[in-house]
Parts: sequence; structure tokens; C-alpha cells
Amino acid sequence: MGGFIKTILILSGISCFYFFTQPAVAKSQVLTDVKVIHASTGTRYVDQGLKGIISELESVFKYTSYRLLKDQKLNLNFNQKGRVNLPGERALVVIPTDMQGKRIRYQINIQKNNHSIFQTRVLLKNNSSITIGGPQFKDGVLLLNISGSVQ
Amino acid sequence: MKKPCDKYTAEDISRFIDNELSRDQYHAVAQHLIHCPVCSRLVERYRSISSVINDHAAQAVLRIDPVKLKQKIVQQNSKETFSRNIFRFFTKNIYLKLASIAAIVIFSLLPFQGALFGPTGPSAIVKYVDTDFASVMIIETQKEQHTIIWFSET
Repeated sequence: MGGFIKTILILSGISCFYFFTQPAVAKSQVLTDVKVIHASTGTRYVDQGLKGIISELESVFKYTSYRLLKDQKLNLNFNQKGRVNLPGERALVVIPTDMQGKRIRYQINIQKNNHSIFQTRVLLKNNSSITIGGPQFKDGVLLLNISGSVQ
Repeated sequence: MKKPCDKYTAEDISRFIDNELSRDQYHAVAQHLIHCPVCSRLVERYRSISSVINDHAAQAVLRIDPVKLKQKIVQQNSKETFSRNIFRFFTKNIYLKLASIAAIVIFSLLPFQGALFGPTGPSAIVKYVDTDFASVMIIETQKEQHTIIWFSET
């Protein structure tokens, strides 16, 4: 029985040590992944690279074709600007500004011809993503899936 | 032990009463009692004492209800078996030990729930939106609570 109690105490100690010391490690890099998707009502097609989010998109949108036009990974420091060029003279600018709890605060800006047409501030769950849709492209729309992960 | 006579002690007489002597010794004491009034009195005294004790014991035994006694023994046995099983369960059961360890680890990690499993709620909380276009929708999917911002570029 003594061994059992010892095991419990050791496990509790290790857990507490691990989790109490964790916040002391500074995390300053934010891996931001931007997927540029062309959604349309053409022939049914789903890009292999969209496996993780396609069920979520299809639960909301009535498009039948989802093509991954670009998948750009940006390793950004806080307050560092990341730029992704989009079709149609557009650009997406993302800036991870800080953390609020376990969420990453992002400032997101969509520009067209160097003019801001849409901007938002979001608190993105770490290791999660948000999709911004609406810009017209060809016979469909652009969907921008932005995911963030603190390194 | 006080000596009733020169030949036998009170202990010898007591053993005679209790039939604890060998056959020869028993006959020797029985022969002696015929001639020794001191030892004879002692024998009578011992016999009367043991008769009183035996009577009381017999009465006490008669007062015992064998059915109730049996039930009591069975109950006592089952109680002991139950507590023994419980003790064995808590001390020998490896699964209980593992469950206890798991429970302790989980309880110690509860304050860090956010760090472990991430915050609950939508994938993104939209704090601010500004656009040249009038139509903006914020959608949260049912399954994964994935946040979608939709703006109509028309």
C-alpha cells in the first residue's frame, strides 16, 4: 500500500510541476496557415487538402466545388504583419497581436487594389481556424481559412 | 495447594473428581477415600461445587435458542466476509488503484483544463468588423463550432 501512495504522490507532483511551470515558457511565434479556397457550383470536387474543414464548409454553403488555390504558412511574431496575395488584385494581411487567455488575437485585413475592403479583429482558439468568405472570383467566391497555432 | 491428608493433595482429589487420573491412581485414591474422612469430605465438597456449576451451565444452555444462535453466527460470518471483501477490493484491486491514480491526475489537472483541452466555445470570437459592404454575417457551425465570417462583395 505504501508503494501505491508513493506512486500517487509522484504522479501528482509531476503533473503539478509540469503545469505550473508551463506558463513560464514564453511563446512568441504564431504559425499562421492561410488556405485560399475557390468555392463554386461547378462539377463536384473537393480538394484533398481541405479534408479537415470541408465538412464544416459543406454544412453551411451550397457550393459543390471546393478548390484549394493556395496554402501559405506564415511563421509570425506577435505584431508582425503577414501578407498573402489573393486572386483579383486582392491581398490578405494578418497580424497576431497578442494572446487573450488561450486565444490568439488576430487583426485581419482584406485589401483590393491596395484599399482596405474588410477588416476584423478576432480571438482565435489556439490550433483552430476561422473562415472568411465573400470576395467574388470567377463563377464563385473565395473562402479564406486562417488557422493559428502558438509555437 | 493445601494438603487434605498426608497421602494426597487437594489437586490429586480434584483430578480424581475430574477423572483425570490413570486407572491405577484412580483405584488407589478410591481405596484411600474409604479410610480417610478428610479426603472424603473434600470429594463431597468438590462434587457439590461441580454439580452447582453444571446445573447453571445446563440452564444457560437450555435458554439458548439454537435457531437464533445459528442465524447470529451466519450474520456474523457474512459481516466478516463482506468487510474482508471490501478490504481486499480496496487493497488488492489493480483497477481501483489505476482508477484512483487517474482520478487524482484528472483532479490535479482540472485547473489547467484550458491548457489541456483548449477553451470551449466557437473557434473564433469576432470582436470587431468593418467593411465597405453592408451585408456581413457571422456563422458558427453546429458540429465543430467553426466560425465563418461572410461578407457580400457586391
